Amino acid sequence: MEHSLWKPCLDRLKQELSEQHLNTWIRPLHALEEGDTLRLLAPNQFVLDWVKEHYLDNIRDTLGHLFPDRGVKVHLDIGSSRQPASKKDPGFELVAVTRTMTVENETQSSNLNPDFTFENFVEGKSNQLAKAACIQVANNPGKAYNPLFIYGGTGLGKTHLMHAIGNLLCDRTARVVYQHSEHFVADMVKALQHNAINDFKKYYRSLDALLIDDIQFFAGKERSQEEFFYTFNTLLEGHQQVILTCDRIPKEVPGLEERLKSRFGWGLTVAIEPPELETRVAILMNKAQQANIHLPDEVGFFIAKRIRSNVRELEGALRRVHANSQFTGKSITLTFAKEALSDLLITQDKLINIENIQKTVADYYRIRVSDLTSISRLRALSRPRQMAMALAKALTNFSLPEIGEAFGGRDHTTVLHACRKINELRESDERLREDYVNLLTTLSN
Amino acid sequence: MHPQLPLSFGLKDSATFATFVSGPNAEALASLTRLTGSAWEPHVYLWGTSGTGKSHLLQAICHAAGERDTTSVYLPLASLEQFPCTVLDGLENLAIVCIDDVECIAQREDWELALRNLFERIQETRSSLIIAGNAPSSELGLALPQLESRLAGCLLLSLKPLPETERTQALRLRATHRGLNLSGDVERYLLRHFGEPLGNLFEALDILDTASLAAQRKLTVPFVRDTLKAAGFGESG
Repeated sequence: MEHSLWKPCLDRLKQELSEQHLNTWIRPLHALEEGDTLRLLAPNQFVLDWVKEHYLDNIRDTLGHLFPDRGVKVHLDIGSSRQPASKKDPGFELVAVTRTMTVENETQSSNLNPDFTFENFVEGKSNQLAKAACIQVANNPGKAYNPLFIYGGTGLGKTHLMHAIGNLLCDRTARVVYQHSEHFVADMVKALQHNAINDFKKYYRSLDALLIDDIQFFAGKERSQEEFFYTFNTLLEGHQQVILTCDRIPKEVPGLEERLKSRFGWGLTVAIEPPELETRVAILMNKAQQANIHLPDEVGFFIAKRIRSNVRELEGALRRVHANSQFTGKSITLTFAKEALSDLLITQDKLINIENIQKTVADYYRIRVSDLTSISRLRALSRPRQMAMALAKALTNFSLPEIGEAFGGRDHTTVLHACRKINELRESDERLREDYVNLLTTLSN
Repeated sequence: MHPQLPLSFGLKDSATFATFVSGPNAEALASLTRLTGSAWEPHVYLWGTSGTGKSHLLQAICHAAGERDTTSVYLPLASLEQFPCTVLDGLENLAIVCIDDVECIAQREDWELALRNLFERIQETRSSLIIAGNAPSSELGLALPQLESRLAGCLLLSLKPLPETERTQALRLRATHRGLNLSGDVERYLLRHFGEPLGNLFEALDILDTASLAAQRKLTVPFVRDTLKAAGFGESG
């Protein structure tokens, strides 16, 4: 679109305003022109109010000065514009000019991201149970497990699985809505303000499936919890599917009403754990393939071995290596990746060292760090010591003798024995397995 | 005689890619330049200590976007955090969103959550979100792991402080832009006493610019020293 009014006005403002003010308040405005009328769209109410108070007079004066005979009218409004997908056409396609900034169409009202599917979800030991449960739910909504409660740390794929169910249900023409819990709360508050709470209830209760992400953000919001409780009950009674995600199991969410905690556990509760090495490698290779990046196996293995906490960090590392390779024009090799990720890995190493592991393990088992390095062979101390050694082996790049040295000068065979013992117990002892996962999550985040 | 009051033009340095002295940060500069061209990168995290040029680069991105008639915004959270976090609403509808000083909202749960949500919306609208902070994401002290992990998933670009020769070059560039002529002595004095961080040096230059206009004096070492002392400008070295 030709900006015969706005462009000269903007050029003049550039002379008068500091770069920062221009970038913060003027550049986000999108101009629409029709004859002698200029409509400026601000991205939100805050920007609109600020521009109105501080710059509108200036803009009007400038236009009056530039076009003295045209009597240009200026309107400020909230709205949005979007570039056409091709990015070739310099013009803008007007998507919405409303105060609420909502665009009503099928894809957007479901909030589902079509990129998240079961096909591109990389399965491993840490998430296979959760994936199987999700497929079950997608095939038998409202019947198999209701509600389905998925929990685990951030960046492990909870939201991906949730969207994958939603997308599959949508393909079968079900009415599905994905909502972050905070949006649910915001929507409800808005509905209360506009006296539209009945519409709000009707809308949410009419769905075939409701997907609420990160329900820990309901904590302490009593009115929202109450509303959600009724919506939840209505959906469950009508055999409509409810899927929830959270960073922990329901009973451990502070500030959540007891009745919600108990009801969230009525269906199936599944965990997603941090991916083990093989899965991390598979995830990386998969992401690289999707992005058309040639990632040699040994590089994938190297990155996955060094970055353990969550899938997002793996993606970050891949982006970094790729960007570096584009910049230098070099192909991605092991040496290249080590160099490209050096500062990232230094940060990682700073966070995870033997000292930190010893402290975390000691805190977890409520013992002293000195107990871990002592010669005592009491089971209450030796098991945590073995755990700390096994974690040190898994999470750091120290050798067995170095780890032994850090644990009161023990022999490397003791460390090896500890690693084997813990691995063995992780298979047979449910309690120890849980301890291991908890410690791993704490240390990795 | 009363000192002559300089006219307040409000004109600051032109923060563009062309006026950025890259030195060891050529890769960051190239990646960000590409971003305003044809390459699409949804999330970028730019980190560097104070005075490494984060704000300059973010503003240069907005400048370049403006040249291409693309909407953008630059939000320095250091001066906006006292406002409600609704300032982030609807920004996903702009093509490029630059957020500076992310460390300022650490432990502010409402802001952290609003930023986490903006991450998601940016992905959906295929816009770009470029965030700058003074530490790696894991060291920002954020309350929400959901935000920290999203920052860790960004394309990470780190900025390193400029070595001596490039610092002089940056100082000269800024001085020339203001029409100031710095002698070798003044350059050395400024770099030695106010050169760390670089942002301080440019602020000192602003003060000297105004003062030399008002006093109609040339910049000499004694004048520079007295002016900056009178302005309460602390020496860094």
